[in-house]
Amino acid sequence: MDSTDQKLMSELQEELKLERRPFLRIAKNLGLTEEEVLSRIDNLLKQGLIRRLGLAVKPEKLGHTTNVMIAWNVPEEKMEEVGAALAGFSEISHCYERDTPPDWKHRLFTMIHARSEEQLQNIIQQVKDRFDIDDYRLFRSLRELKKASLKIFPEAEK
Amino acid sequence: MDEKDREIIRLLQKGLPLTPEPFKELGDKLWIDETSVISRLARMRQEGVIRHFGAFFDSKRLGRSGALAAMTLPEDKIEKVAAVINAFPGVTHNYVREGTPNIWFTLNAANDDERAKMAAEISAAADGARVDLFPTKRMFKVMVNLD
Repeated sequence: MDSTDQKLMSELQEELKLERRPFLRIAKNLGLTEEEVLSRIDNLLKQGLIRRLGLAVKPEKLGHTTNVMIAWNVPEEKMEEVGAALAGFSEISHCYERDTPPDWKHRLFTMIHARSEEQLQNIIQQVKDRFDIDDYRLFRSLRELKKASLKIFPEAEK
Repeated sequence: MDEKDREIIRLLQKGLPLTPEPFKELGDKLWIDETSVISRLARMRQEGVIRHFGAFFDSKRLGRSGALAAMTLPEDKIEKVAAVINAFPGVTHNYVREGTPNIWFTLNAANDDERAKMAAEISAAADGARVDLFPTKRMFKVMVNLD
């Protein structure tokens, strides 16, 4: 990653302009050719520094109205199996094993976006039945205080 | 929103084609023209369906230090402390949740020291309330491909 890549990532952290040739605009901002911008993005994706270039939606707007975080108490020897299986649920967007404070046993964190309370309970029941895990902590989302995309690169000089 | 809108979202959750005219390529797949793809996206952005359309970084690979963080606050302190939490550009998510702890947010910092400093500042703004950190140990899944 060189300084041009950093400037490019600073451009890409902003909301993409909706126009016919969005990469051409970025290229002009950076004094590069469109082809170079495209090949640099391709490289950054291959290196995994950019996970993806695309969009994310608000789950509520697609009908996923029951949004909760559940932390499961999973025995260490089952963590891999359960983590991988929960990752396979289409309603689960994030599934992480986390380091936790000493008094905290529920280490497998999942974000669940269900279409109804019934669907949520159904997912919980499936996890209980398949993995014999019924110790979990459910944190229902009550209020959004902030939701923004990550901006880690200094803003480009325009 | 109609079925074409959903198809556009489905494809763009995976990624924008890396070609000079990416919306034309999308339109070709969906049997609609480029202008229609662009205007549909503009409408969905306007309606707040689209939360972010751009790059999603792997901040760990970029050498940064992140964590999910939680604290317990009484209702009458939430607003004041949330203002301090939200002022950090490295905080991208912050939610009030049912249960204890009730405030859950993400911290993203240049390194561990800076992350600790953020947590300390937030704790100070909450009169010393504990800020628990839950850094990722293993990632099984990230990112939404919602239908």
